Amino acid sequence: MKDIRLHVTVLVLCVISELIGSKSFAIGVGKIVLLPMFYALIMGVLTAPRFLKISGTKEIKAASGLLGLTLMLLMARYGTLVGPTLPKIIAASPALILQEFGNLGTCLLGIPLAVLLGLKREAIGAAHSIAREPNVALIGERYGLDSAEGRGVMGVYICGTVIGTIFFGLMASFAAAYTPLHPLALAMASGVGSASMMTASVGSLSAMFPELADQIAAFGAASNMLSGLDGLYMSIWLALPASEFLYRKAYKFKYGEEPPKPLIHSIAGDAKGDEQK
Amino acid sequence: MKMKDMIEVLIIVGIQSLAVNVIGTKYGIVEAIPGLIILILIALAGIWLGKVMPGGIPGVAYVVTLGCILTIPGFPGSEFISEAVKKIGFVQLCVPLLAYAGIAICKDLDVFAKSGWRIIVVSCFVFIGTYIGSAVIAQVILKTLGQI
Repeated sequence: MKDIRLHVTVLVLCVISELIGSKSFAIGVGKIVLLPMFYALIMGVLTAPRFLKISGTKEIKAASGLLGLTLMLLMARYGTLVGPTLPKIIAASPALILQEFGNLGTCLLGIPLAVLLGLKREAIGAAHSIAREPNVALIGERYGLDSAEGRGVMGVYICGTVIGTIFFGLMASFAAAYTPLHPLALAMASGVGSASMMTASVGSLSAMFPELADQIAAFGAASNMLSGLDGLYMSIWLALPASEFLYRKAYKFKYGEEPPKPLIHSIAGDAKGDEQK
Repeated sequence: MKMKDMIEVLIIVGIQSLAVNVIGTKYGIVEAIPGLIILILIALAGIWLGKVMPGGIPGVAYVVTLGCILTIPGFPGSEFISEAVKKIGFVQLCVPLLAYAGIAICKDLDVFAKSGWRIIVVSCFVFIGTYIGSAVIAQVILKTLGQI
């Protein structure tokens, strides 16, 4: 059997994580939930050659290669959560579909902030979307990954990979505890097109609202699938043009002049960008 | 990757999940095994469909869809499947997955450490913007429809 060291390491991490169990902390009026899956993630990172030296380059490479496959059992389970609640999901479909437009909140908030922090064209790549794989591919095709936009999208992509899961788990806890947003609305928002971010958010929410757990997971899974389907088109048709517009406005606000024309500017989606380089 | 290797990995993940499930839920090994076998079969069938079906739709989409169809109330055997997989906690299934993810992240740590603080701040606001933006719209619609 291949990669036995990796699989045994994971088994040990799993057992330790689940034995610690989920912990909730009361902070003010709400509570923050820490789940075993977060410990497993952090301990996984700690096995790195630079820390505990349990996993070597070989294990790290094997783990990234197997990631898609190890996801499958969870995805099958999500399917079986959607099935029994399908009538409820269909009843909630207007909300499920329209909340997808909420993903535009990304550029509304992100672009002005990025420009105010001093980022230039990096802002477009970084803040036009949540920067998962399809968005990286899109920016790569349109601007090239070695462009400023490409650096931006890769930066957020890496951040999402490293801190995204835990960030989403804690953010869900905070939002459920301190905002008037309903857990089911937060469940729908969890599906951003990344299975691990969705799972962390859904996991935290269902730990806080056990009586709604199945419905929360079903809504999260359904919305995540929708995001996977529409996310790219949303970026091409709405988020990227909106980001370009917000970038010009924010740039003018900060520097008092129009931004310099980008070298490669092809909103129509022609392939000139790559030839010019 | 060969189908045989995939089956091997799925069974290994199944065993890891089983260990987590026994610790984290009230169900024992014997009670959990039928559900786990069903999940492995759904996963395999979905991956296979992704390979043979035209259209280039990734296997993961077939896996979710299959799981969904097999448990729609009224589908032959749906009750049995639902009851069996209910004994596998979905929060428990995430633990092995995130352990693999954690080990895989190791290769991105250097790049992450080099990314400037600005990108990290922007990333956090990107996450918040997506999440709260969607949640607010969902909240308004669900409330208007009287579903919450």
